[in-house]
Amino acid sequence: MKKLICILFSLLFSISNAKTIQVGSNLSVKKIKKALQLAVDGDTIVVNSGVYKEGNIIINKKIIFLGKGFPILDGQRKFEVVSINADNVVIKGFKIINSGYASLDDPCGIKVYDRTFVKIENNILDNNFFGIYLQNSRNCLIKNNKITAYGKQEQLIGNGIHCWKSDNLQIIANKISGHRDGIYFEFVTQSIIWRNISNKNIRYGLHFMFSNDDAYITNVFKNNGAGVAVMFTKNVKMYNNYFEENWGDAAYGLLLKEIADSYIFNNKFARNTSGIYMEGTSRIKVEKNVFESNGWGMKIQASCMENEIVNNNYRKNTFDISTNGSLVLNTFNSNYWDKYEGYDLDKNGVGDVPYHPLSLFAVLTEKTPSAMLLYRSFMITLLDKSEKVLPSITPDNFIDKTPLMKSLPL
Amino acid sequence: MWFKNKIYKSILLLFSFFALVSCNSNESKPIKLNSDSCDFCKMTIANGKFGAELITQKGRYYKFDDVACMIQFDKTSEVPSKVFFVNDYFKENELVAAEKSFFLKGGTINSPMRGNFAAFSSDKEQKEFQTKLNAEPMTWQQVYDSYK
Repeated sequence: MKKLICILFSLLFSISNAKTIQVGSNLSVKKIKKALQLAVDGDTIVVNSGVYKEGNIIINKKIIFLGKGFPILDGQRKFEVVSINADNVVIKGFKIINSGYASLDDPCGIKVYDRTFVKIENNILDNNFFGIYLQNSRNCLIKNNKITAYGKQEQLIGNGIHCWKSDNLQIIANKISGHRDGIYFEFVTQSIIWRNISNKNIRYGLHFMFSNDDAYITNVFKNNGAGVAVMFTKNVKMYNNYFEENWGDAAYGLLLKEIADSYIFNNKFARNTSGIYMEGTSRIKVEKNVFESNGWGMKIQASCMENEIVNNNYRKNTFDISTNGSLVLNTFNSNYWDKYEGYDLDKNGVGDVPYHPLSLFAVLTEKTPSAMLLYRSFMITLLDKSEKVLPSITPDNFIDKTPLMKSLPL
Repeated sequence: MWFKNKIYKSILLLFSFFALVSCNSNESKPIKLNSDSCDFCKMTIANGKFGAELITQKGRYYKFDDVACMIQFDKTSEVPSKVFFVNDYFKENELVAAEKSFFLKGGTINSPMRGNFAAFSSDKEQKEFQTKLNAEPMTWQQVYDSYK
């Protein structure tokens, strides 16, 4: 007992020992850099509102760095604004603007160098080259930040949240727009991306490269240049996301390339050129998703195998499925297709004749894209109907044997 | 009659001229950043320092976001390539002939598809960046041969 009290006391002592340094234009400490010099591990620096143009602010002590009334840290387009070089740093409530631009060392709003347990919360980042950059970091939290840039086509711009060689990250409730990729993961494992909104980015809303064992849940990806790309990874979980309005020649709601053992559950793909584009993917389960008003619901290239497409709703898509080969190594079961014209005599909710989701015309346009001109012409409709009865060009085992009569309540 | 003949002739000449011009181009076409996508990995090309382009013997253009993508595309493609272009690392999205370029690999170079090649139009720049980027110098032939 005595020991415990002793420990408690020493704890209390160490806490009360930490001091708070106030920074402001009418206070004794006027510069953030000065405050950083005065601080020791465990201290708190409170920066009062105002504009601070102090070049590159390097935090190399374990401190809590708070902004009061969103003080502006201006990088004047020359510097990396905040560099974090210590573990356990908390940075909260700043407005960080105008980082350096387009130089070879990728200047950022906030960059974390090889650190653990850093928290970046409630900041506004505006007009930076890269927004938040985590390099070689673990157990970090990026929460509630608003990250905006104004990238245009034909122009070099960095990513909103860029994570490289990191582990155990939490990216929660951020709003990102106008960057190259909203969120970029490269060699990042065991991490979660939850409740973010990534809109109007130049390239991808979210981009995974070589990042295994991650999950992204309940995010909105809307109006990005080319949607979301998950590439060269395995074991990624994608739940409850919205993929909307990604239009363009090479734009997809979700681009999957060289990915294995993943699970796509309860997402909504609406108004994209292609809902999902799959190439070289294997052992993926696509379950209970909604594909609505897309040009193509899913484009499955012949290099995909052992994927299971179960219990999805396909509605109002120009083409539900398209493929470029004749080999079918994927299974379709119990989906709802609004183009299904079969019947259900035994009234068990499952159509009595199998459905061929692959239309003749989808195959034709895959081979010669310009054939699209003839879409909805009389001849094509005729051909499509005859193909449904007697498949000759489309692979005849490309079928859903148990198509649902009613759409699933998703 | 004579003038009709002349018109025919001039039209014929004009068309043959067009045909000649369109067939024989060895010029690069500029890459449109954030709009063109890589013909090998499907990614949108966003970085004008690592892009690449090739022209096949049939005269088709293919664009890539990384030199590694271009070489892998070339090695798996049935139509042989005629010319290769790469982005000059020192400039912004300028294509130069690959065989006239000087390459660096590795070090701190981070290319979109981890080919990690940087190309330079002169050996002076190559030497300058070699120490800066802690990378290894290579010729185009060595770069090309590093993929099977």
